[in-house]
Amino acid sequence: MAVQGIWSGTVSFGLVAIPVRLVTAVDPGRVTFHLLHNKDYSPLRRRMFCPREGTTVPPDEISRGYEIVADQYVVMTDEELESVSPERSRTIEIVEFIDMKEVDPIYYDHPYYLVPLKGGEKAYRLLVEAMHRTHKAGLAKFVLGEREYFVAVKSTNGVLALITLHYREEILPDKDLLPKEVETGADEKSHMKKRIKDMMADFDPERYADKRRKKIMDILKKKAKEKTPVQAPEVEEEEGAGPADLVAALRESMRKVKKKR
Amino acid sequence: MSRKIVDLAGKRLSLSNLEKDLYPSYGFTKAHILEYYRLISKFILPHLKDRAVTLTRYPEGVGKGFFFEKRCPSHRPEWAKTAEVRGDRGERRTACLVNDLKTLMWVENLAALELHVPLARAGSPEIPDSMVFDLDPGYPADILDCARVALILRDLLSGLQLTGCVKTSGKKGLHIFVPLNRKGTSFEDTRKFSKAVAEIMQKTYPDLVTSKMAKEYRKAKVFINWSQNDSSKTMICVYSLRAQEKPMVSFPLAWKELEKLAAQKDPGKLQVIHSEAVRRAEREGDLFQEVLKKKQKLPHL
Repeated sequence: MAVQGIWSGTVSFGLVAIPVRLVTAVDPGRVTFHLLHNKDYSPLRRRMFCPREGTTVPPDEISRGYEIVADQYVVMTDEELESVSPERSRTIEIVEFIDMKEVDPIYYDHPYYLVPLKGGEKAYRLLVEAMHRTHKAGLAKFVLGEREYFVAVKSTNGVLALITLHYREEILPDKDLLPKEVETGADEKSHMKKRIKDMMADFDPERYADKRRKKIMDILKKKAKEKTPVQAPEVEEEEGAGPADLVAALRESMRKVKKKR
Repeated sequence: MSRKIVDLAGKRLSLSNLEKDLYPSYGFTKAHILEYYRLISKFILPHLKDRAVTLTRYPEGVGKGFFFEKRCPSHRPEWAKTAEVRGDRGERRTACLVNDLKTLMWVENLAALELHVPLARAGSPEIPDSMVFDLDPGYPADILDCARVALILRDLLSGLQLTGCVKTSGKKGLHIFVPLNRKGTSFEDTRKFSKAVAEIMQKTYPDLVTSKMAKEYRKAKVFINWSQNDSSKTMICVYSLRAQEKPMVSFPLAWKELEKLAAQKDPGKLQVIHSEAVRRAEREGDLFQEVLKKKQKLPHL
């Protein structure tokens, strides 16, 4: 599968600037289903519905409201939202290097790969190797879409990975989760340590797989082989509607209009 | 809060917050708004008359919060005319009828910058007195593309012996009203007719026009919104201000003028600001009066 670039620009620090392309590093592997009308398997579409008017609401009648208390909103316009969006930027500017071990995985948000672009291969390779040797990662700010992300750029299996990190304020407090402190004996502690030690292994993700996904895919493959898939009807989308006489008269008029133009 | 008591046709009306700037990036206060509607009143009132108006109120000015008021506020003056109307689910409500200057001044004092009206009068809510084509450009299509579509529509309709009138929406689009003014035409008729028109337009000009509401079809095209032909829908009233950065007006254009402006390719010229609206209405009269008067029958239904 060809990986699609999400963004391209440069990774830079000091005097170094490496042209790169950002690609996603994970495919969440969820089996996606389309919702169909079970009468005739027409694909369904989502619409915004106003329960008060009992009608579908067109996009130009939709606003964003921030709920202050129940049923009371502050309306925010597209312009207002745009005014707080960061300026688009073509650089991932590394501001400091840190030890990746210090970053608790709870901060990890979403992983991407950075792929070198033409002219950047050598510097890219040097950076990957240096970061690998030193276990260091670069911290940077990075604008993607409407948001500015806080990211770590690190070396993973010979390539650069970019991991968007959560901001501090997004991490929920954990102090309420801690159990009360209780006395523990030295032998209890060593016992726990030993149990863990007995089960030590190397991290080998190959040994784990999403069984449900595999089972679903097996069922789908089997069904596709056994039975021809159901066909969605041609969406006439109300076409051809209109009284025949009217349609004929409109066609005739349209023919003249086109001739004139 | 500052108040000013005015006397209108023997009724006392208390106006508040006249110095409040409701178009802050342009500089247009409540007093300016009242003055605009006073000057345009003789043109707008016939189009508001006996229609269940929806007030779009901007108490803090444009760009801030607004709300639709389909019900006539209960704190209305006792002389304000109202009508009992039914919503699309049969619920009753009391709507304002803005039939005279003093009611117009009263609703504008509520910062109802935009006045939206149904295509039918309150007394006969199921009988549209015009059929409408609401031309809405999907970016990067613009009002000039709407003008192209409007001119084609004019010719297409004229081939069926129908005349329409065009106005700016005061925002990005154009509205074409085809006067009917006869009892025999229902919303079902106007819907059927306008939809067939929108579809043949889409078929003939697929790169310019779409008849589909869904956003994904509307990019770079002019959406001919035929579904406005419904008793529950409202359109911005001709001569109403719009709640935009600048106090633009939904203003009628002569077809010849639209042709000329379309040829000049300057989208800005298709926007009419309050002062120009007053000046032009005074000079040219109500270019939308046919909408209220001309009787036409939709053929081939």
